Amino acid sequence: MKSLSTTQRAGLFAFASLVVCLLCAWLLFGRGTSPLQTDVLTLLPATERHPLAEDAVERLARASGDRMVLLVHHKDDDAAKDAARELGAALAADPVFASVIAELPPFDLDQLVTPFLPFRFHLLTPEDRAALTTSGFDPVDALKRRLNQPFGANVGAKLTDDPFGWMQHWLDRQPWNRSALVPEDDMLTAHRDDGSYVLVIATLKGSSYDDVVQRQALATLERAETAMVARHPGTALLRTGAIFYAASARAGAEHDTHVVGIASTVGIALLLLLVFRSLRPLLIAFVSTALGVIGAIATTVLVFGQLHLLTLVFGAALLGEAVDYSIQYLCARANAGADWHAERGVRQVRPALLLALATSLLGYSLLAVVPFPFLRQMAVFAIAGMAIACASVFWLLPALAQKPARAPLSPSLVRLALGWQRIASGRRALLGVAVLCVVAVPGWLRLGHDDDIHLLISPPKALEAQTATIREVAGFGGGSQFWLVEGANAEEVLQREEALTDRLQTWVADGKLGGWTGISAMLPSAHRQAANIAALEPLFTPRERMSEWLGQAGFRAEGSAGFVAAYPGRAFTIDDWLAMPAYTPFRYLWMSGGKHGVGSIVVPQGQDDADLLRTASDGLPGVSLVDKPASITALFGRYRGYADVWLGGALALVGLAFVWRYGLRSAWRVLLPPAAGIVLSVAALGYLGEPLTLFHVMALMLVLGVGANYAVFLREGEPHVAHLPGAAYAGVLLSAVTALLSFGLLALSTMPALRHFGLTLLLGIGFTALLAPVSVPAPKNRTA
Amino acid sequence: MRRLITFFALLCAFAAHAQSPALTDDVLGHLAKHPQVRAEFTQSRENPALAEPQLSHGDLIFVIGHGMVWHTRDPFEDTLVFTSGDTSRLNAQGKLERVRDGNRGVSQVSGMLQSLLAGKSDDAARQFTISADGTPEHWTLHFVPRQARVAKVLAGITLKGDAFLQSIEVNLASGERTLITFANTRDAGSLTPVESTVLGIP
Repeated sequence: MKSLSTTQRAGLFAFASLVVCLLCAWLLFGRGTSPLQTDVLTLLPATERHPLAEDAVERLARASGDRMVLLVHHKDDDAAKDAARELGAALAADPVFASVIAELPPFDLDQLVTPFLPFRFHLLTPEDRAALTTSGFDPVDALKRRLNQPFGANVGAKLTDDPFGWMQHWLDRQPWNRSALVPEDDMLTAHRDDGSYVLVIATLKGSSYDDVVQRQALATLERAETAMVARHPGTALLRTGAIFYAASARAGAEHDTHVVGIASTVGIALLLLLVFRSLRPLLIAFVSTALGVIGAIATTVLVFGQLHLLTLVFGAALLGEAVDYSIQYLCARANAGADWHAERGVRQVRPALLLALATSLLGYSLLAVVPFPFLRQMAVFAIAGMAIACASVFWLLPALAQKPARAPLSPSLVRLALGWQRIASGRRALLGVAVLCVVAVPGWLRLGHDDDIHLLISPPKALEAQTATIREVAGFGGGSQFWLVEGANAEEVLQREEALTDRLQTWVADGKLGGWTGISAMLPSAHRQAANIAALEPLFTPRERMSEWLGQAGFRAEGSAGFVAAYPGRAFTIDDWLAMPAYTPFRYLWMSGGKHGVGSIVVPQGQDDADLLRTASDGLPGVSLVDKPASITALFGRYRGYADVWLGGALALVGLAFVWRYGLRSAWRVLLPPAAGIVLSVAALGYLGEPLTLFHVMALMLVLGVGANYAVFLREGEPHVAHLPGAAYAGVLLSAVTALLSFGLLALSTMPALRHFGLTLLLGIGFTALLAPVSVPAPKNRTA
Repeated sequence: MRRLITFFALLCAFAAHAQSPALTDDVLGHLAKHPQVRAEFTQSRENPALAEPQLSHGDLIFVIGHGMVWHTRDPFEDTLVFTSGDTSRLNAQGKLERVRDGNRGVSQVSGMLQSLLAGKSDDAARQFTISADGTPEHWTLHFVPRQARVAKVLAGITLKGDAFLQSIEVNLASGERTLITFANTRDAGSLTPVESTVLGIP
């Protein structure tokens, strides 16, 4: 490169930049599908030891995936139904919905009975099986009791098909008979004290996370809702479904990108104008930063195949750090005055910039080590962005900043910087730092910690409340806790699930559990079906005896003959289960055909104490409780623990780099500002009552990276501006304020994790920048 | 069938939206004057598959706001307790056992009857066309399902009574007919300790 002239190098760099810009544009817009990811789930780390468990988490999350589940509520029943009907019609008119169910299609009740007839002897409830196998079971008495039940019980299967009621008992346990919703006027309704609720389900033609589908579906829903409320005042619409969560996450992230991106851009621009008092430095700084961000986007999409919207939010904040490199260069230019020579300027700032880049990259690459997609993406984004921004200073900026600066740095800033530098350096300052560190101790002691998943996922309360109401009224919606049952084959899985659900059944009886949903309630294992037949066998051997009993109980001979002849029928198999339309909504409970083996999911209801739930699977082979939120919480906690070690390690590495550059005697001074910055910001968090999270600790790593920059900039810059006391520190302050403007704005983010990140950086960078003067000897020729 | 059970649950529906609202309201008002009722019952069930009607006898106590104890004495001894949404059996040891496979609709009958007497009769009107004839001293209420799907299974329900409910008749489309007649219906007076306990009355 040495043989190339400044302009040639800049030309090459500009060409490369153009290519990257085009690449980025193509990656973002040129490929049909947008690589912009809004699904928060994709950011969560894999927490489960078994890939099948991760599969299961995914399935459960998607079980209601691409559907809107809506409940129309009105205190007047007719109004609620009319409103729901109109809503359904309005939604159905939009092709973005593949199907809308408001009014039920005509169907025969028999469809929920007749298909079970061939299997009826193999399908017994545990209670019936137990009753049949107790000694002293009297078939005639059992028949008599059934025939004389108060008010009549013989609905569903015909009396002659099911004289003992075994099949009806079985069917009563099937999920569609457990829903709180009842068909009325061809609509699924629930009645409560405050009025009627009517269910409308709209299935999307496409993914909930697809930008186009999402916007169109939500717009249509909003129009339909407005029209519905206008025609039926007092109607309320409750909604749940992945699409609403995705949309709220997207809206939050977009809001953040706008706030952070625009506010920091405007803020930094104003600041640069004020300090450099010229438009050119502003443009130069923005070109360098923009290249960094564009390069970062391209790299991230190339590495991950997608770019998460939250990464972009973080990226918007990264502006403030990427701009540091050009600021240092521009400060050098402003300070040099008429003596400016662009290439010499590069040589002057190069050591500082490289050292600063190295420490930053160190900080970010530690983030990249965490097996956590969110942090990884942020790290890759940052590393690429920083490196490119820095490179642009070396290779592009000299060509843009050939001419000397028109004006020196704003004198008032330099005066301010010098004033503070005098206060914050020398022995007195060291003493001050020592005092501050003592003051910090109680803050550290007050520090709590928080590893909750809501750091990452914090849906709006209104949506959560609606989801909870729908779950309560309609009985829909699974939690995020479930048991995973694994086995070598379908039969083993079913048997293992039965071992679990038998236990759960006693819990339900004891009131420890509201209920559960699992395939074993619909499809007993072959082993259990054999047990059912074994329980019935004595009653049907010889068959004539059964006919006799039925006659004694009052049945006509021709009525009972069919029942006796139908015994034993055939076993119910997984294929039968899959083929039965009534079971289609529950297929997510069964996992087979995937690459991770066979398994099933059992979802608890009415109990969310994970420790209690876990005891249900104690000692059962192949059964484990999967609690994604708890796993994430545990993971956050674990990494928070590791992060302390990493932070220490990073501090040591940065220290080593400083020792190499500045020698043992001076290195500690350079390291002091970031180290003290970390100590003080943690203490401040303690005083603020903010519990420490993984994201605070991650931000502290950045404080180390960025904070070390400031000490380096000051230390390296000082000798070059001996004629201008305070100028080097003014440059550092400028960098710090731009960083505060961008990272600090993350503190306004809607997402707790980013908010914590921002707050920590705000504190850390603030403290470090203020303490930076201790890294150099006190300015000489004191006037005061 | 779940929904059908629910409709059974409505069979004691003395609804406000009847064709003769005045009479229906009268009947409802009169019945509500007896918050605790005892009666003897006879239930007869006829089904084409059965050679002869099934007959059972017993006594019941009904307490508005709490539930019903249905005590079958003949042809077997059995005591079922219906409280809101729950069916339990009083076992030989005098303890309540929840009946999982009980006819859930039946427990809802009692709950529905209570809510009806408390003035919430909308549910029944949503499901049935109700017609009344007779006088408040001697009345008949007919319940015909409004929805075709239900009508395919349930032909209709007829209630008859005077100051008290005298009979309930349930006719299924399959030809099954259940007739419950009440005799010696009277205000319950004080409850026995067992009755109070099982109905959860302090």
